Amino acid sequence: MITEQGRILELLLSGAFICQISDEDAWRYLKTAASSDKIENQLNVLNRTLASAADGDVFFAAYQSLYDDERKQLGSQFQDISSNLVPLVEWLLLVQQANGTDVPVTQGSAIRLNELQTTIEDTPAFAEQLEKISRYRMFGSTSTQLDGQLKQVFKRLTELGYLLKPNSEKQIFIATGKIEYLYDVLKFIDETEALSLTEQAENAALQGSLL
Amino acid sequence: MNQHIHQAGVKFLNALSRHSELIMQVYLAGTLDESKYNPKVIDNLLQLGILWRPESETQLRLKSAVRSLLEGSLHDERNRHIDANIGSALASLNTLAQHYKEALHHGRFSESESYLSDLTEHVYSLTESLANSVRVLFSRINNEFGYVASIDAKIRENELAQGQVSELLTQLEMFRFDQLSEQAGSNRELRHLLVVTLQHSFSKVIQELSIVQARLLELIGRFREFRGRTQLLKGFLLHIEQKPEFSPTNYSQLSKVPLLFNQAPALLKPAAVDVHRIEHEQDLQHLVGLIKAYDRTKSQQQVERAAKNIQVEEQSDAQFVEDKLKLAVEAYFCQVIDSGERLTALDYHQQQELDFDPEVWIYQVVGGYQGLSAEEQGYFALDTEGAKHPIYDGNYIIRDVELGLR
Repeated sequence: MITEQGRILELLLSGAFICQISDEDAWRYLKTAASSDKIENQLNVLNRTLASAADGDVFFAAYQSLYDDERKQLGSQFQDISSNLVPLVEWLLLVQQANGTDVPVTQGSAIRLNELQTTIEDTPAFAEQLEKISRYRMFGSTSTQLDGQLKQVFKRLTELGYLLKPNSEKQIFIATGKIEYLYDVLKFIDETEALSLTEQAENAALQGSLL
Repeated sequence: MNQHIHQAGVKFLNALSRHSELIMQVYLAGTLDESKYNPKVIDNLLQLGILWRPESETQLRLKSAVRSLLEGSLHDERNRHIDANIGSALASLNTLAQHYKEALHHGRFSESESYLSDLTEHVYSLTESLANSVRVLFSRINNEFGYVASIDAKIRENELAQGQVSELLTQLEMFRFDQLSEQAGSNRELRHLLVVTLQHSFSKVIQELSIVQARLLELIGRFREFRGRTQLLKGFLLHIEQKPEFSPTNYSQLSKVPLLFNQAPALLKPAAVDVHRIEHEQDLQHLVGLIKAYDRTKSQQQVERAAKNIQVEEQSDAQFVEDKLKLAVEAYFCQVIDSGERLTALDYHQQQELDFDPEVWIYQVVGGYQGLSAEEQGYFALDTEGAKHPIYDGNYIIRDVELGLR
C-alpha cells in the first residue's frame, strides 16, 4: 500500500504540477511545513528540490544543483516555455473576451466549452482569432471547422496540465494552478527585461479612448 | 387636525396604489413618458408630490422619498444612497429630549407624551437608517458589484463604497454617550432610548462596518489583481506586435537559474514485474489468465469462424432436373402437334424411355396442360383414363392421360 507521502513523491518526480485544483490532498500535504520537509529530504537524494510558484499555489520538483546536463535540459525546456507564451496569452485573452467579463482566467475558473463555442461562432472576430491560435505548433490543429479547432485547443491544454476536465462526460474545464505559474512567468519576464507591459497596455487603452 | 392628516394620508396611499403601474414604470425607467398617460392623472400625482419636475423642459421623475421607499422595500441593489447625516439626527434627539424634560418639569403630561413618542420615532428611525446603510453596503459586496460589468467600474464602485464607510465612521464618532447619558439623567424612558437602544445599535454597526471595510479592501485587491493580469496579457501581445523578434534571454544559462524556470523533467518510468514475489502471485496469475483468454478467442476467430465460399452448385442441379421434366413435357406436346395423332402420356414415356417416375410424369403433363393459356388449351384435348375407386364414392383414380388435337 503506497503512503500519501509516496504518492506525492511519485507525482512530483513524474513532473506534475500540484495545486489545489489538480490534487487538493497533495497540495494541503505540501502546504504543511513538517510534511513538505520530509518530501524535500527525499527529493534531495535525487538532486531535486521542492519548488513553488504563485505564492505557494503550485508545487513542482526542481533541480537542486545544476551541471551541464541539467542546464541543457532546462535550456530546451525554456525554449518550449517561451515559444508557448504567445499562443497561451492569446488563448487567455480570447476566453476572457468571449466571456464578456473583464475577469481573467485564473486558478479555479470554470470554462464551459459549449457556451464559449456559441459566443465564438456568433462573433467572426473571435472565430478568426481561434483559427489563428489553433494553427500554432503548440496546438497543431489542422481542422477547418471551428468545433474541431476548439476541441483540439482544449485537448492540448488539458494534456499540458493547464486545464482539468473533472467530469469526462461534461464539456466543463477548470483552470489549474499552472495558469498561475504562467502569469508568474510573464511577470518575471516583464520585470527582468524591463518591458513595463502594464504601462504599455495602459497607454494603448488611453490612446484608444482618445481616438 | 389628526382626522385631516389621516384622510390626506389615506388619499395619498390610494393614489399610490391606483397608479402603481405608472409609478413602477417611472421607477424602472427613471423618467415618465408623458404622452402615454392621461394628463389628469399626471397632474394629480404632481399635486400629491409623488412626481416632480426638476426643471422646466425636463421630464417628470419620482420624488426621492417615494424612490427610497421602493428601494428599501424591494432590496434593490441600485440603491447606493447612504444617509450619513447622523450629526443633525443627534441634534434633533437632544432638542426633543430637552422639550420632553421641560414638559415633565412643568407637569404638562399630555404634551410630554407626544414629545416622547416623537423622540422614540426619531431614535428608531436613526437605528433603522444605520442598519439599512450597512445592509446596502453588504448587498453590494455580496454580489461583488455585479451590477456593473467592467473591472474598472467595479473598482470605482468599490472606492465609492469605501468613501461611504469612512464617512459613516466619522459620523459615528459624533455619538457622545457621556452627553447622551447626562441628558437622559435619571429618567427611565429617556435612558432606555438614548443610552440602551442607541448604544446597542451603535456597537452593532461599528462591528459590521469593520467587517465591511475589510471585505472592501480584499475585493479591491482582487479587482486590481484582475486588472493587472489583463493588462499584463494585453501588454505582452502589444509588445510582441511591435517587436516580433522579441524573445526573452535564456534564463537557464544564468549562473543562478530562477526557480520558475528550473523544472526537473519526469524521472519515473513504470516498474517491472517481479515474478518471485509471492504477494503478487494472484495479480500476476490474473494477468496471465487474461492473456490466455485473449489468445483463445483469437485462434477461434482465425480457424473456425473464418468466412467461407458458399457452395451453390447443388441448387442449380435441382433446378436442372425440373427443367428436363418441363422440356420433356414440351417435346411430348410438340410430338402430338407434329403427328396429329392422339397419344397417351405413358405410351410416350415408354417410347422415349424417359427415366422419370411415371406418376411424376403424369402430374407434370397435367400441370403442363393446365399451365397453358386458355386459348392454347382450346387446341388440345386431354382425356383421362382410369377407374372409380372400388370402395369410396366420388373418387376417380387416373391411370393415364391421353392428349390429342381438337
